[in-house]
Amino acid sequence: MTHVVVDPITRIEGHLRIEAEVEGGKVTQAWSSSTMFRGVELILEGRDPRDAWAFTQRICGVCTTVHAIASIRAVEHAIGVTPPPNARLLRNLIIAAQNVHDHVIHFYHLQALDWVDIVSALSADPAKTAKLAQSLSDWPLSSTAYFSDVRNRVKAFVERGQLGIFANAYWGHPAYRLPPEANLMALAHYLEALDFQRRFIKIHAILGGKNPHLQSFLVGGMATPVDPDAQASLNLGTIAELRKLVAEGVDFVSRVYVPDVLAIASFYKDWFSIGSGVSNYLSYGDFPMDDSPHPVLYIPSGVIHAQDLTQIASVDQTKIAEYVTHSWYDYTVGNDAGLNPYHGETNPNFTGPKPPFKRLNVEEKYSWLKSPRYDGAPMQVGPLARMLVAYGLNRPTRAKTLIAAALKQLDAPPSALFSTLGRIAARAIEAQVLVESMGMWVEGLADQMARRDYRIQDTSHWHPSTWPKDCFGAGFHEAPRGALGHWVHIRDGKIAKYQCVVPSTWNAGPRDAHGQPGPYEASLEGTPVAKPDQPLEILRTVHSFDPCMACGVHVVDATKRELARVRVS
Amino acid sequence: MPVLILGLGNVLLGDDAVGPLVLARLESEYRFGAGVRLVDGGTLGLALLDELAQARHAILVDAVATEAPPGTLVRLDGEAVRDAVRERLSVHQVGVADLLDAARLIGRYPHSVVLLGLVPGSIGLHLGRTAAVEAALGGLVRAVAREVRSLGYECSKSARRSGGDRPIHALVRHFGV
Repeated sequence: MTHVVVDPITRIEGHLRIEAEVEGGKVTQAWSSSTMFRGVELILEGRDPRDAWAFTQRICGVCTTVHAIASIRAVEHAIGVTPPPNARLLRNLIIAAQNVHDHVIHFYHLQALDWVDIVSALSADPAKTAKLAQSLSDWPLSSTAYFSDVRNRVKAFVERGQLGIFANAYWGHPAYRLPPEANLMALAHYLEALDFQRRFIKIHAILGGKNPHLQSFLVGGMATPVDPDAQASLNLGTIAELRKLVAEGVDFVSRVYVPDVLAIASFYKDWFSIGSGVSNYLSYGDFPMDDSPHPVLYIPSGVIHAQDLTQIASVDQTKIAEYVTHSWYDYTVGNDAGLNPYHGETNPNFTGPKPPFKRLNVEEKYSWLKSPRYDGAPMQVGPLARMLVAYGLNRPTRAKTLIAAALKQLDAPPSALFSTLGRIAARAIEAQVLVESMGMWVEGLADQMARRDYRIQDTSHWHPSTWPKDCFGAGFHEAPRGALGHWVHIRDGKIAKYQCVVPSTWNAGPRDAHGQPGPYEASLEGTPVAKPDQPLEILRTVHSFDPCMACGVHVVDATKRELARVRVS
Repeated sequence: MPVLILGLGNVLLGDDAVGPLVLARLESEYRFGAGVRLVDGGTLGLALLDELAQARHAILVDAVATEAPPGTLVRLDGEAVRDAVRERLSVHQVGVADLLDAARLIGRYPHSVVLLGLVPGSIGLHLGRTAAVEAALGGLVRAVAREVRSLGYECSKSARRSGGDRPIHALVRHFGV
């Protein structure tokens, strides 16, 4: 038996450490641990709830908008205010841009190299690569000369030993299966995606005043003035610029990203039956389409149990509870109890080993993440959960159409989606759904201007004197990595209690009081590992969740001697 | 943009706030001539590529871990910057290293890249800086201003602190400089 360990190296949002037992070439059991305390909740207590978003948006070093959105929604829910239509449209655009940007970067820059062998790409025939690319998409940059140039440029970098970005990978690993030409095509698109993402994210600078860490959020609305004729506001010029950026986004996602994912998937079809894991899925839904208290959501909400797509239950936040049996916290009500986030507690009690250490004691507490459960069951969250809910609901959606088309092209049944590759494909399809929908919201803003509705904030509840003495609010958001919720209790105009349940806690959390593994842990069971000193397959499954935590791998054999250590995120 | 000043760090993590806070102080205490751009980069990596790709000279401001005592001023340039982010002297090593590599890959690496920073005392989850770093902040602000002038761009002390209507001033209000 071999013991494989994934270990932290950065502190951006938290550290991820995976320990796995490998026997007979497969993972038998796995444990996921976050080794960094993230008690931002404690920093917020006693503060003005209208300022909370400015703190929470700094929680995450990767997605700057998501915790701001969830926070303002929680406070708005507590004090009873609904943002006007312009604010709804601006938020939908900001959220969609964040998701599309994150999905593109995740696929090309954080995940693709688990499937694409750069060294093999350097031996590809540019003419054959051009032929392959042209057969997949009518993207204009697909000539022999173009692929030849990409190959030579990257070769020069690698030969000069300059490329840290491509270092520490398992080039030549037997689990790489793409022909050299497909590798070269993907490498070319890796470089194009770098350029694409830097143009596309300008949308955030336009809508948020600055990027990263947008400054335009506001409880009750947004701080971005909307006026077709004024200079320092969203005007007809910015609408034109948004149209152009969205069109570029639709182009790249539908003609490069989605075709690449489907082409790569066609070489790895066995991964449609690996990494299934937890069979329940949760989506809070997002992108309100109207301004009523219970708006229709463009990405629908729902709960799926036991992979049954015919029964999508509605979400009830009172069924959410967090457990700390295996987490480095204590509950005053006992450590095997589950607490709804409204009554959540953040009392750190680290009992783990002092780093560096070889192994966690997984019988006891072993993670800084809590174990969120819905009605007692673990849930997968993220693009796959959202796309499955949309696919299962009995109403026509763009998501449903695109999923059906992808399954047809790959000649795969819907059950193939419950897998490592399913998570990757769902992310790409969702990027297309969202980037297409952005055009609708840009036009919505243009229409608002045409009818001279420039309202951007509901100020009626700005002053704490208008709030109930004691009020509770929950704010829900679908972040790139999945369902995000903030819960706030406001007393006498100040934050009395604040709890965040983030997507990576749902997915990467440890076992609960009943020993049920979290989604990372469950998905790794059964994952093949050809070479325990190069656990590429483990990375494929962990990366398919888009972990927000950078991490490293080192591998320990049965005698606990360290064999290798590499960065994986 | 000829000169980019990029403040890096997480304001919720103690001395890691150095980069964004120096940015905020430069914005409120100095006047810059045309061609100088100040960006609060937070902890991001690739999302900052557009800023870096458009810069002729980049000045990165960050917490820099070395053997020296907390609050020590550190200046690195040329290949030393790349080695530092690779060797993880900068506490945002992954983001910064990937960002610099990405700029090279797309052929948009700035003509010069300088890393200016302070050795942190504590980077745990808390607001406020350690005494050594707090005392050294002013020196780092002046060092960045000197760096800008040495590149031939205007950077002079404002007569009075500016009013605080720029977005970055919200940061100052929230986290305190």
